[in-house]
Amino acid sequence: MTQLLLFNIFNGLIVGAFYALMALGLSLILNLSGVINFAHGGFLALGAYIAYTLIPYVGFWGGLAIAPFATAAVGVVVERVLIRRVYGRDPLYSLLLTFGLAYIFEDVLRAIWGAQSVPYPIPPELATPLSTEFFFLTGYRLFMVGLATAVVIGLFLILNRTRLGMRIRAGTADLETVSVLGVNVRILRTLNFGLGIYLAGLAGVLAAGMLGLQPTIGTSLIMPSFVAIIVGGLGSLPGTLLGGLLIGLASGITTVFFPSATEAVIYVMMGLVLLIRPRGLLGEEGRIQ
Amino acid sequence: MRRVPAVAWTVLIWLMLVTMPYWMNGLGGYTELASRVLVLGLAAMSLNFLLGFTGVLSFGHAAYFGLGAYGAAMTIKYIYPSTPLGILVGVATGTLAAMVIGALIVKLRGVYFAMVTIAFGQVFYFIAFRWNSVTGGDDGVSGWKRQALDLGFTQINILGNDKAFYYFVLVCFAVAVTLMWLLLRSPFGRTLLAIRENERRARFLGIPVERHIWLSFVISCCFASLAGTMYALLNNFTDPRALRWDQSGTFVIMAVLGGMRSFWGPLIGAGIFVVLQDYVSSHTENWMSVIGLFFVLVVLFFPRGVLGMLRRKGLT
Amino acid sequence: MSLLVVENASRHFGSLVAVDSVSLVVPPGELRAIIGPNGAGKTTFFNLISGFFPPTSGRILFAGRDVTQTSPEQRVAMGMARTFQITEVFPELSVRENLRIAVEVATGLRLSPWLTRAANAQIRQRIEVLLRMGGLEDKASRLAGELPHGDQRAAEIMMALALKPQLLLLDEPTAGMGDQETYDITQLIRRLHKEQKLTIVLIEHDMRVVFHLADRITVLAEGAVLGEGTPEEIAKDERVQAAYLGKAA
Repeated sequence: MTQLLLFNIFNGLIVGAFYALMALGLSLILNLSGVINFAHGGFLALGAYIAYTLIPYVGFWGGLAIAPFATAAVGVVVERVLIRRVYGRDPLYSLLLTFGLAYIFEDVLRAIWGAQSVPYPIPPELATPLSTEFFFLTGYRLFMVGLATAVVIGLFLILNRTRLGMRIRAGTADLETVSVLGVNVRILRTLNFGLGIYLAGLAGVLAAGMLGLQPTIGTSLIMPSFVAIIVGGLGSLPGTLLGGLLIGLASGITTVFFPSATEAVIYVMMGLVLLIRPRGLLGEEGRIQ
Repeated sequence: MRRVPAVAWTVLIWLMLVTMPYWMNGLGGYTELASRVLVLGLAAMSLNFLLGFTGVLSFGHAAYFGLGAYGAAMTIKYIYPSTPLGILVGVATGTLAAMVIGALIVKLRGVYFAMVTIAFGQVFYFIAFRWNSVTGGDDGVSGWKRQALDLGFTQINILGNDKAFYYFVLVCFAVAVTLMWLLLRSPFGRTLLAIRENERRARFLGIPVERHIWLSFVISCCFASLAGTMYALLNNFTDPRALRWDQSGTFVIMAVLGGMRSFWGPLIGAGIFVVLQDYVSSHTENWMSVIGLFFVLVVLFFPRGVLGMLRRKGLT
Repeated sequence: MSLLVVENASRHFGSLVAVDSVSLVVPPGELRAIIGPNGAGKTTFFNLISGFFPPTSGRILFAGRDVTQTSPEQRVAMGMARTFQITEVFPELSVRENLRIAVEVATGLRLSPWLTRAANAQIRQRIEVLLRMGGLEDKASRLAGELPHGDQRAAEIMMALALKPQLLLLDEPTAGMGDQETYDITQLIRRLHKEQKLTIVLIEHDMRVVFHLADRITVLAEGAVLGEGTPEEIAKDERVQAAYLGKAA
């Protein structure tokens, strides 16, 4: 029983790390530009499929290294051509726009790579469990947790130690002032968007290795990201991270006792947070507008 | 251009609705398509009660639409084969859910409100998908049909007769739409406009904003669930797709396409969208991309919608 | 009995003290002006009185009742109405519709799904009275957001008046106005004070307006009360002159 519980807690934390990785990208874009990128799931799936296509040529590690950047590049193009045009307008329009993009993503990905699941190859050295006692500690899962942690630390380092990061944080608090101070807000938004999409693409590559790859992988992961942001706190990146881990953990534990309620429990958590503290666990006051 | 009085437009629209089965067939469509326009038009108009008239960004309306559909389908299949009962249960289910969820989300605004409505929409999608034994999972609820209406002195065969069903839907539509219209023109309706126009001013006039938003939410979802029951009856079937995020998206795009600030706009948007979707899906497998592209084009080039554009030109 | 009593109200934002233990007593029928340099906390103080946010400490009593934690909507129902520094009206509705909403809410009709003919007639009448009072009869059908500045202000004041308030709070009613508009608004406020016998508290920067209208003046500086008295007393007060009047025209 304990082993089952441990397995599911560990699994839950891994899943939570995905949710957090994806939610962080979503949160970055939301906080700075006020855009809910509903197409985020599409970018996640795109990242996975790009890696899948590249693997025969550059191997697993090559795919992992290149795909997120390629996805971010696509993201930058989308931002400059489409998303830019709805900044400053009623948030209705950015949501509708990204909704439309999500439709397009799902359909195009299905058209190119087929509706069926495709096998996503992970290198054999990662696939073996590290011990028969704790068989769930496969190298891949450990690797994923390690990489996700490294990336998140990297993200927080970027945000707190670089000029770009400082500008993003300042812009999130007060974009008008930042622009008056001479920062090129358009480029800032584009870079921020690219960073968010990089995280989505990376999450996609990692997710494919664990969950398998089909066109709906994005839309199945985007909802938990929404919940992670709502639970963790609106406008707060550490909150989003916390939210992702919490809901992953919650669903991991629930699997042991009520397997059919695994997905539902994250929405129950969301409901509780809304009831008790609408701005989220680490949310800033005044952000619910 | 001379201004056309509002009454003329209303009369014209009702005339077209009453005769739709006839001219729809003449245009190469079919009666069932006309019923679809009415049903989805009602759903879009219900959403617009909240979106266009109260100024609230609800993106999860498919939840209540779908609950109406499932309520009706499951009632007829498992409880008692009666159309009115199915409708009643469907509407009650959707409205009850709206009352609970509305209370939870009424303190949020803007994009956060939208996010939460989307998330709650997905909850019901999941339940319908997972709870195989009760809801049939991905296969949906099938093996039932809409029942003839027993009026005591006569029976109306809405199952076998497409036109009879269309007029049945039209009657329900007319009742719902008239109620909506009366509400919007009442003092209560005007408080909703006030909230849309300037929430702070509304609050400082003494309007309890959160309570009125909740009321508007419940009313809107109630009519949406009615549309959902009609949808299930139309297809003699329902499945989780009625609850999905893309269904919610289509309601919003219909409202925007037709014109959010006008009463009939969403119906016109629904008409255009339903016909377009029908045409595209019969010609290509990639109709979802076309619809997505359509969304993008409307947002970029046509945000005020058809009636918004006509209003600009002084016609309405 | 005083209409408005504020006892040592303070408002902190983190470590910033915006309002520092301010006390105020306004008897019914008085027109009180609140003046002070920019950043003195005047609007924040108004926000405390009208319920925009609660004070960090202190009490607010209105018509003898403790309203410190009461919501803005409830304070309106009790008889408090306010206008804002940046005019807040319903921009895409006509002036008449703006007033209609205010009148209907004031008549207790806000949840009403229909109107009787009699009620409708009464409401129409009241709207006409308000339009005339604000000099807006020929602009009644125009969209409120398209009106010139002065008329928007007048419309907002009329909306507040529609609520039949006991206390009217006006936040810089002549801000951004030219001489003629300032004169018109000042006359309007004066009429409201004298003819309607309204209790009014207003924030103002324009000293001509203040000395023309006020029964008493409270001076705020850096969140605290610097002085209080009749216009004559304040004009002679050296500290006030130093802090504020010396810089004005």
